[in-house]
Amino acid sequence: MGIKILLFICGMLVLQPSIAQGQSKFEIIGTGGVRFPIAVSPLKNLGANTGDSARLSTGIADAMVHDLELSGWFKVIDRSAYLENAQTSGITLGTFDLKDWSTIGADGLVKGGFSVQGDEVSVELRLFDVYQGKERIGKRYTGRVRDYRRIAHKFVDEIINQFTGVPGVFNTRIAYVSNSGGRFKEIFVSHLDGSEKFQVTDNHTINLSPDWSPDGRSVLYSSFKDRNQTLYLFELYSGKEIRFAPRAGGRYLSGKFSPDGQTIVATHESGGNTNLYLLDRTGNVIRQLTSNPGIEVSPSWSPDGKQIVFVSDRSGSPQIYIMDVGSGNTRRLTYSGSYNTSPAWSPKGDRIVYTGRVGSRFAIFTIPADGGEPRKLTAESFDSEDPTWSPDGRFIAFSSNRAGKYHLYVMQASGDNQRRLTGSGGDDTKPSWSPRLD
Amino acid sequence: MKIPIEFAGNLCAAALLCWVAACAPGTTNKPGGASANPGESGLAGGEGRRGEGERAGTRESDTGASSLKQMQEGKSSATSPASPLKDVFYEFDRYDLSADARAILRANADWLKSNPSARVEIEGHCDERGTNEYNLALGAKRAQAAREYLSSLGIPAERLSTISYGEEIPVCQEHSEDCWRKNRRARFVILQGRSTS
Repeated sequence: MGIKILLFICGMLVLQPSIAQGQSKFEIIGTGGVRFPIAVSPLKNLGANTGDSARLSTGIADAMVHDLELSGWFKVIDRSAYLENAQTSGITLGTFDLKDWSTIGADGLVKGGFSVQGDEVSVELRLFDVYQGKERIGKRYTGRVRDYRRIAHKFVDEIINQFTGVPGVFNTRIAYVSNSGGRFKEIFVSHLDGSEKFQVTDNHTINLSPDWSPDGRSVLYSSFKDRNQTLYLFELYSGKEIRFAPRAGGRYLSGKFSPDGQTIVATHESGGNTNLYLLDRTGNVIRQLTSNPGIEVSPSWSPDGKQIVFVSDRSGSPQIYIMDVGSGNTRRLTYSGSYNTSPAWSPKGDRIVYTGRVGSRFAIFTIPADGGEPRKLTAESFDSEDPTWSPDGRFIAFSSNRAGKYHLYVMQASGDNQRRLTGSGGDDTKPSWSPRLD
Repeated sequence: MKIPIEFAGNLCAAALLCWVAACAPGTTNKPGGASANPGESGLAGGEGRRGEGERAGTRESDTGASSLKQMQEGKSSATSPASPLKDVFYEFDRYDLSADARAILRANADWLKSNPSARVEIEGHCDERGTNEYNLALGAKRAQAAREYLSSLGIPAERLSTISYGEEIPVCQEHSEDCWRKNRRARFVILQGRSTS
């Protein structure tokens, strides 16, 4: 086909669950609580020395440290405090001295080893309870050397499962819009740590509003690349793309996949009026959902797929409404503030996150889905916009200009532990958090 | 210490694979290189090429080309003082026409009446505040308000098309009301060689 496309290929990374697990969990970690002190040792090279050895030893550990810090639940003890030599001490219980770790205040410890064969790496990772002298998790992974960060993300997801009873969300990706410091806005996909950055569009126009399909295989986005703005569905695995033809004289501004992945709610503009339409996966109209003369934009589904939260200016200013898809019955959700937009429904179903104007700034709020008092999560000394939930509903990613340009940030759903994800030379906006990936 | 290792089940992981080299983590990979565009897969809408065909038929006029084309060529989308069709400006989060806006539109209508072959695309633009999608909708409202007023002055609606660029193509880049005021505009671009939609 002569096409230069990146493919997502399944089956390259093999996880081999293993090793007896302790019965009791560490303490359950709550939000706003004390951070659990944990050490992450550089990995031991169990095979021959290769050019990749040093990079893998610290690179896998660094990726785990990044994720653990990002979660907000752990205090990772700085590597400079570590007493043992990772290359000479063992990685299983009894082959290293737990005192080397209890002395520096580590209650938890991650150790591991790796060996490289060709372009494949085999990685063994273990989580120890230093205080009780027990092993909690042991896993072995094999994959391509270049995918070593993903092995780290998957093991941190296991660690978080051990502590909280729900797996972490670090083996996920973020789709977002970036101008990379230039004039054009293109769609990108990367891991939360910025690795494996992949450029979805390269058409030198304006591309906006990326949204993941629930199977994690495709990204829906809107683009001006055919001059008239409409939606495109790009399949990451194959590079195939479908264009959604808008109705005559109209255009699609954005779309969001339903939780079952079978339908899309899209914003369609015609004659100055924007309304919501229900589409199938190939862009055919199933039915029109709203028919108001004003502005109806930014739809997002409830996790059960029965309701849609969206923005309407029918009251005279942009406010957030919830519509029952079956009956069409609609109720207004936000009453405070004169400008509330970009809602997203929590995967747990209980809260809705949105962007609200405070004075001359924009901040992220959450509000109970059945109404009530909004809770402001970000400060109004800068702008924060475009919130998107993690697939477990415990985190929110958003864009903010607190460091000058717009960058992507992530925080706990409570607003705690706000940390920057991206640092490109341009503005990074409109994050969409992928579902959990295999 | 002996550790029992069970090889229970393989978990398939989505792996990013490059067709070509340069897929090291942290590297940015572009789907459309110099030799191919994603649009050439046959399923997409012909990325770039269809647009080029359209633009080839658009005569550079005194109003300048569309803001998107101006941007692509690295030019400002600011309307030239020599343009026969002047910009109309709006208040924040509003699309109603002020007295000043109506006066400008009347002058624009007079020119359109004297140039009956001219077709015009009305671009709606917003300042950077608010969300991109709401601003795309707001820009559409602004363009439509200008179109309806021109129609009410006797300009046939089929000579007037609209497009919204939302906040995406500002003429002024600073983060101040002085700048925002200039960006909340409707811009008029004379089209030649293709029908309006």
